[in-house]
Amino acid sequence: MARVTTGITSSHIPALGAALQTGTSQNEYWGPVFKGYQPIMDWIYGDDNMPDVIVLVYNDHATAFDMNVIPTFSIGCAEKFEPADEGWGPRPVPDVIGHPDLAWHIAQSLILDDFDMCIFNDMKVDHGCTVPLSMIFGEPDEWPCKVIPFPVNVVTYPPPSGARCFALGDSIKAAVESFPEDLNVHVWGTGGMSHQLQGPRAGLINKEFDLNFIDKLINDPETLSKMPHIEYLRESGSEGIELVMWLIMRGALGDKVKDLYTFYHIPASNTALGALLLQPEDIAKEPLDPRVVHSGHSLEPAE
Amino acid sequence: MTEKKKERINIHEYLAEFDDIPGTRVFTAQRARKGYWLNQFAMSLMKEENRQKFKEDNAAYLEDWNLTDAQKKAVLARDYNAMIDEGGNVYFLSKLFSADGQSFQKAAGSMTGMTEQEYAEMMIAGGRSPEGVRSKKGGY
Ligand SMILES: [Fe+2]
Repeated sequence: MARVTTGITSSHIPALGAALQTGTSQNEYWGPVFKGYQPIMDWIYGDDNMPDVIVLVYNDHATAFDMNVIPTFSIGCAEKFEPADEGWGPRPVPDVIGHPDLAWHIAQSLILDDFDMCIFNDMKVDHGCTVPLSMIFGEPDEWPCKVIPFPVNVVTYPPPSGARCFALGDSIKAAVESFPEDLNVHVWGTGGMSHQLQGPRAGLINKEFDLNFIDKLINDPETLSKMPHIEYLRESGSEGIELVMWLIMRGALGDKVKDLYTFYHIPASNTALGALLLQPEDIAKEPLDPRVVHSGHSLEPAE
Repeated sequence: MTEKKKERINIHEYLAEFDDIPGTRVFTAQRARKGYWLNQFAMSLMKEENRQKFKEDNAAYLEDWNLTDAQKKAVLARDYNAMIDEGGNVYFLSKLFSADGQSFQKAAGSMTGMTEQEYAEMMIAGGRSPEGVRSKKGGY
């Protein structure tokens, strides 16, 4: 049977993609960020850790979905998805190759499990989907595994509640486990962490909130999932609401997880960046060494 | 009848709370309706041919998009705060600043009243503290 073996969280900001494209990923500003991701990249390429399929949870940033259609939870069921032109030409990265059999299986299972999914075939994917792939896999000619794009609306209010996202993750887990083929499946939650991109309060960063969020996500996601939207907005900035998507990833890993690696960095452009590598406790491998890395301005007393 | 939810969110309270956050406009249905055409105009800039037309003559291009005068004025002035006041959403408007060759950081910084340099320095120094900008009423 298929199994969700791993959860990864990642930032998906366009500036990371731009740093790769312009060859500045090793400069003074971006170097520490890419260095912080390196252990995840080494891990995933090594020791049998490469997934067969990633269910990649992200939000579409007014790209495939405009004001015409605003699906709360959707799933891409096509054979492939091309990178979108978001105003500066498409990102020069490989097409995302889907897994229609598993995607349709998950879609059907979720609907039977009371999550009334929106199903997409013809859909372009934006930086929300492709930047995490670049951060974890680097710049290969083809992505090394299949990817099921799973867009969540966090742009037009109201987005789904944390509790709903957490429950959805649990349903994704059950759906994957009822797929007959033997597949190593990852669920990735992307976006965040604290950031605000608009208005006089733009530039907000809340390290305390973020570190607490990471801790609760690992150890007490149930309580975390009950946090109301207003708290995300006040504490983590208007765009920090993307963090509800991390709860989908967490819900898909079951009750207890082991944190193999945590990376936290301030700032990546307008944002605080968090990248986590988690596995269900019963099948977890050894944590990486070092297990926790903070860099940039986040270096001050953190633990 | 399905089982009744134990606790329902009061939608009026839910929405009203958003106005209590300083310097922030949450993209509610009300804003989405007001900004419908502004946001759809911005989306049109995802096509290279449209970007070319827009670059040739900003004002002429805007004529096709059913915008209010305030929206047109805000776009022509690249006043992102004003665009958001008129119902724009930053992810939609990103198509406009991307077409202008601007980064998210520059556009976001332009809404704070700081210079580009000051804003970049604030971010490197750890960003804007949430202290005092969480709630207008509460002042915390
Ligand atoms: Fe995002």
